[in-house]
Amino acid sequence: MRETSLGGSALLEARDVRREYRLKGDLIEAVRGISLEVRSGDFLALVGPSGSGKSTLLHLLGAVDRPTSGSVLLDGSDVAAMSDPERARFRLEHVGLVFQRFHLLPMLSALENVELPMAEAGVGRRERHDRATALLRRVGLGDRMNHRPGEISGGQRQRVAVARALANGPSLLLADEPTGELDRRTSADMLELFQSLNEDGTSIVVATHDLQLAEGARRQLVLVDGRIQP
Amino acid sequence: MLILRYSARELLRHPARSLLAVLGVAVACAMLLDMIMLGGGLNASFRSLLTTAGYELRVSPAGTLPFDTGATIPEARATREAIERSESVSGVGPVLAANLLEAGRDDSRLFVLGVDPGEQGIYVLEDGLDPGPDEVVIGRELADEGLSIGDSVVLRPPGSFADASAAARPFRISGQADFLYASAGERSVALNLEAVADLTDRPDEASLMMVRVAGGLDPEEVAASLQAQFPGLQIASVGQLVEQAANRLSYFRQLAAILGTVSLVVTTLLIGTIMAVSINDRYGTIAALRAIGISRRSLVAAFAVESLLLCLAAASVGLVLGLLVAGQLEKILSDFPGLPAAIRFFVLDTSRIAWAAAGVLIAGVGAALVPAIRAMNAPIASTLHREEP
Ligand SMILES: Nc1ncnc2c1ncn2[C@@H]1O[C@H](COP(=O)(O)OP(=O)(O)OP(=O)(O)O)[C@@H](O)[C@H]1O
Ligand SMILES: [Mg+2]
Repeated sequence: MRETSLGGSALLEARDVRREYRLKGDLIEAVRGISLEVRSGDFLALVGPSGSGKSTLLHLLGAVDRPTSGSVLLDGSDVAAMSDPERARFRLEHVGLVFQRFHLLPMLSALENVELPMAEAGVGRRERHDRATALLRRVGLGDRMNHRPGEISGGQRQRVAVARALANGPSLLLADEPTGELDRRTSADMLELFQSLNEDGTSIVVATHDLQLAEGARRQLVLVDGRIQP
Repeated sequence: MLILRYSARELLRHPARSLLAVLGVAVACAMLLDMIMLGGGLNASFRSLLTTAGYELRVSPAGTLPFDTGATIPEARATREAIERSESVSGVGPVLAANLLEAGRDDSRLFVLGVDPGEQGIYVLEDGLDPGPDEVVIGRELADEGLSIGDSVVLRPPGSFADASAAARPFRISGQADFLYASAGERSVALNLEAVADLTDRPDEASLMMVRVAGGLDPEEVAASLQAQFPGLQIASVGQLVEQAANRLSYFRQLAAILGTVSLVVTTLLIGTIMAVSINDRYGTIAALRAIGISRRSLVAAFAVESLLLCLAAASVGLVLGLLVAGQLEKILSDFPGLPAAIRFFVLDTSRIAWAAAGVLIAGVGAALVPAIRAMNAPIASTLHREEP
């Protein structure tokens, strides 16, 4: 495990965040009062058993979901107070998301997939193309840019997804089980990519069962039953 | 735009599904076009037929429509002159209709119209000259039977007259004409009014008079003032006749309205189903796209474009199909007994095509909006929770 002390300022601050679901009359407390801070340049791994609330917390941190109570400050903005469209715009510009199942658009090339969030943000055609090209080179896919997701391997797809997450230069990269569909070798490559992005200044939070990946992060938080294990 | 490229390619991802949707909507679109053409077609073509020869009013015996019954206008000469004296009238063409037999050639029936060749709107000469006192102008049916200009035709009243064969008279064929109001297969000929009067022993009668309104006057107003002046006659403008015909044929329009609505409903259901299936397949991806910040508006636009492309493809196939089907139906319906063959049931113009296309596009895109907007209202985190293992 690497050094945890980071000189950066607080990028993300969660205070006593709770998320409850009502399911057929039952109250499910997925996240039960979590406070944490992520500094600029951090690489944090959220680990814990299945159902412990990792994904739920990640969605709260990334402004995908709103907490039942508590606050999430990201890049100085109170995410919980934003309206739906405001949060969508905020995610587009400030948060990069990577999913276990990639969720790339199968009929678009790798390049077009990476360009998509830029197009949504209103970036011009030429700049979009140049930036997407640079990002795909950065994740090691300089030679597969015009291939569609169905034409490349799982590991390569996840790299495209990482490039897409970085498209609009987010301040935080969030990944939920990014190696969940990958074999051990490819997972190791993915860790290397995350580490190298982190060394270049990208702040990262991953939720994972993958110990190899978790151990490669700068620090880990263990979740059990929606709480952080001391 | 990237999202539009996505929409287009998404349709190609399931070519069989897209093709079926396109064909289904194309059939609905064809039916809609035909019904729009049929709904307004009759009126438009009836009006243009009635005004072909430039006579805006029709005078018929009181209480009847032109050629509706065997009734005639009495004192035809005096009536014609009286109408002609009106300043708002520039011409009156009397017509006396009769069913006569063609003597010799197995006494077949002919529909004979007696006219004043200088003032008539019943036929348009295609060859030869108007009929003189002992001459006849024949329609296409007789020409197709082998008769031509210079031949002669012997006409006689139907055989119930005791001395019918004595009254038989030969007429030389002076010309061939298109009889505007002839129904399919009707064997029409035109003679001088006096000849028909003679043959049928009706010296001063007319079945109908066609009236030309003086330049610039409103036919409806002239009809109304003449009607007041001649209460014993029925005087109608072409507009009124079209309206009456439209009422008589209103079941055609009701049929068209119902079938047109059915085809729009079919379009809505087809596109709605296809888009709902296609969008449901993509719930996970949609949630992920929304999570990375793609707006509802962009996604709904993408789905709207998807259905728009489907409908555009369907409309272009459907319009061609509709025209082909209309052509076939027209052939069948133009043989409708008793209706002038020149009546077009299906009238084509660009505005009708535009209406049919617009109907399909609006129904299709509207149908896609329902599943699209529903997908946008699914909570992102819960959908991801469900879709990710
Ligand atoms: N949308 C939802 N509706 C109802 N319950 C939910 C929802 N999302 C999560 N939960 C519940 O909240 C708890 C935490 O779920 P979460 O997905 O955050 O766990 P996790 O740590 O990511 O698990 P895993 O490691 O299996 O991905 C679970 O009990 C889960 O069933
Ligand atoms: Mg999870």
